Amino acid sequence: MTGTHPVFDVVSPGLQTLVQDYPGRRGLQSKGFFPAGPMDHLSFRIANSLVGNDPGAAALEIPMGRLTLRVLAETSIAVAGAEGSGITLNGAPVPLWETVPVVPGDEIACSIIKGPGFRVYLAVAGGIDVPVVLGSRATYTMGGIGGVEGRALTKGDVLHGNPVPSPTRLRVPTSLRPGLANDWEIELMRGPHADPDFLTEQDWKDLLANKWKVDLNSNRVGTRLNAHRFQWARPSGGVAGGHPSNVLDGSYPIGGINTNGDVPVILGPDGPTAGGFAVIGVVVQAGLWKIGQLRPGRDTIRFREVPLEEALALSARIDYTTDPRHYEEL
Amino acid sequence: MTAIINSRSAQGDRPAITYRAAGDRHVLVEYGEMALDLELNFFVTAVSAQLAEHRVPGLVEAAPGFRSLLLHHEPSLIDRKTLIEAMEEVHEAQQSVRSLIIPSRLITLPIAFDDSESREAVHRYATTIRQEAPNVRDNSNIDYIVEYNGLPDREALYATVTGTTWWNAYTGFFPGLPFMFPLDPRNAITVPKYNPTRTWTAEGTVGIGGPCVAIYPVEAPGGYQLFGRTVPIYDILARHDVFRGDPLLIRPGDRVHFLQVSEDQLLGVRRDVLENRYEYMIEDDPFPVADYLARAAEVQAEAETLRTAREAAAALMEVP
Repeated sequence: MTGTHPVFDVVSPGLQTLVQDYPGRRGLQSKGFFPAGPMDHLSFRIANSLVGNDPGAAALEIPMGRLTLRVLAETSIAVAGAEGSGITLNGAPVPLWETVPVVPGDEIACSIIKGPGFRVYLAVAGGIDVPVVLGSRATYTMGGIGGVEGRALTKGDVLHGNPVPSPTRLRVPTSLRPGLANDWEIELMRGPHADPDFLTEQDWKDLLANKWKVDLNSNRVGTRLNAHRFQWARPSGGVAGGHPSNVLDGSYPIGGINTNGDVPVILGPDGPTAGGFAVIGVVVQAGLWKIGQLRPGRDTIRFREVPLEEALALSARIDYTTDPRHYEEL
Repeated sequence: MTAIINSRSAQGDRPAITYRAAGDRHVLVEYGEMALDLELNFFVTAVSAQLAEHRVPGLVEAAPGFRSLLLHHEPSLIDRKTLIEAMEEVHEAQQSVRSLIIPSRLITLPIAFDDSESREAVHRYATTIRQEAPNVRDNSNIDYIVEYNGLPDREALYATVTGTTWWNAYTGFFPGLPFMFPLDPRNAITVPKYNPTRTWTAEGTVGIGGPCVAIYPVEAPGGYQLFGRTVPIYDILARHDVFRGDPLLIRPGDRVHFLQVSEDQLLGVRRDVLENRYEYMIEDDPFPVADYLARAAEVQAEAETLRTAREAAAALMEVP
C-alpha cells in the first residue's frame, strides 16, 4: 500500500474489535444496507478529534475489551468511551479522553471493560487505512464488507495508517465528556406506529414510565429489551399477520424501537433496514451513542420523550463536544 | 402529539397519504390503507423514480416499503415542514400508475422445500429461544403455514409457491433481501411472524411473514416462517459473474418464479454457483401495470372466495 505505513500489529484481537468510520454507509438503505459505523458515535468522534483526524475517520471499536496491540510506528493515539477498561501503555495506565504519543515497540493493552459503559474507541493519527467499500470503511460483518475483509480483527492482522505530522496534544475537559451510567435516561420521539392508531395512549405512557432491562442477547444488530404486553389500539395485525405488532413491511429508521411481537428491540447500526414490525418510538440522533454503551444483561433504560426542537438542540450540543477547538492543550 | 403529523385524502387515482413521525431525522410517508394492494407499491415505485430524477436538497434517501417511503433527511439542510411541502409537489406531479410500464426482469430460482438448513434454524429456535411455540412442529414451520391457510396438505403449499410469479416490492432487511408478493391474487397466503424472533437463519432460506415471501441473502436473525431454500442472491465477493456489477441479484420491480427441485439437486446447484458454473435464469421482461390489473380483475372473485376460506381457517389458529 503506497503512502501508508503499518501502525499496529494485533497481538490479541479482543472479542469483536471492528474498524469503523462515521457516518458509515449512507443512502444505501434501499439496497438493504444500514450504515454500520460506531455504536457510540460520540466517543468515536471525540477519539478522532483528539488525534487531529476528521471526527469520522476510520478507528477501532472495542466492545468488552481484551485487546492487545503492538505499535509499529511513531504516532499518536487517543482512547475514549467506557470506564474501567484498564487500558495500559507498556503496563502503565493510559488516560482516556486525551492525546497519547506512542513509539514503535510500545504495547497497548485493554483488560475486560468493567464499566459503566461497554465499548471503548481507539483512534490513531491519520486514521486506519482499509479499503472503501460501497462508500465507507465501516465494517459490516453480516454483509461481509468494510474494515479488514468484512470481519472483526484477528491475531496477526497488521493495521496500516496514513502518516501525518504529530498532532497537538489535547484533553477533553471533564464538562464535555459523555456521562456514563448503568441506569440510563435515553431521549426518544414517537415512532410511526405509536399512538393513536397502533399503540394506545396508555401504551405510550407505559413505554416512557417503564424501567427497561437490556437483554444479554444485545449487539450491533439490535438491543433487546424485556418483553412487555402492550394493549395495542387494534385487535390484530390484519393482513400483515396475526399479532397487532405486525404491519405491512416498510423501511425502518436507525434507533427505531421495533416491537418484535412482545419484545421491543432498538435497531442498531448493523440492524435490519426494513421489516414488518411496528416502530413505536425512535431514539433521537443525540441519544444514539448511549445505545453503544449499554451493558447487555446489566443496564436499564428509561426513555424521556423530547420535542423535535430539543432533539435538534441536543445534536448541536453533541457536535460541539466533538470539536477539538473546545479541548484543553496539554 | 401523535404519530401522525400530516395527511391527505385520496384524490382520483392518487391514494390517501399519511405522514408519520419517525424521530428527528426521518418521516414515514404511507400510501393508502393497510391492504395488500400492489397498486400502492407501483405508486411507491413511481414516486421513488421521480425522487431519483429530481433530488430534494437535504433528503439523504427515500427508502421504500410495500406502501411507504421512509424519508431520511438532514435537519440542518431541510426541516420537516419544507420536506413535506416538497413531497406534496412530487405527489401532485405523479401520473396515474395504471399507465406505467415498469422495468422488470423475470428470474427463475430453484427451491427445495423442507430442506435441512431451514429445519436446523427452527430446531435451534426451539432449543434455545422458545420451546413451546404454535408455529413450531417437528423442527419445521411448514405444517403451521399449511393449517393457518386452510390448505389440505404440504403439497398444496408448495404448489401455491411455485404456481405464481412473485413481485419484488422492495429490497431491505439485510443486503439484497427481496420482499415479494404474489402476482396471482389466488396464491396470496398469509401467516403471523415469530414471537420472539430467531437469532439464526441460513443464507438462501426462503420464508413467509404476513403476506410476504422473502429469501435470506445472508446468514441472519429473522422472524419469517421458513419453508425452503434456494441459491445465493447476494455475494459481495462476486464469486459468480452474476454479482460482478452489483452484489444484489434481485432488484425492486423484478419478478421471481420458483421451480421445485430436490435438496440434493439444490446442493449441486449451490456448489455450481460457488464455482461460477451455474447459469442464473434471468430474462428482461418489462411489466405493464395495465395488463396486471386486467388479469387480477379476471380472477378477483375466485381470489376473494379463497381469501374468505383462508381467513376462516386462520381464525381457529393460535398466534405465536
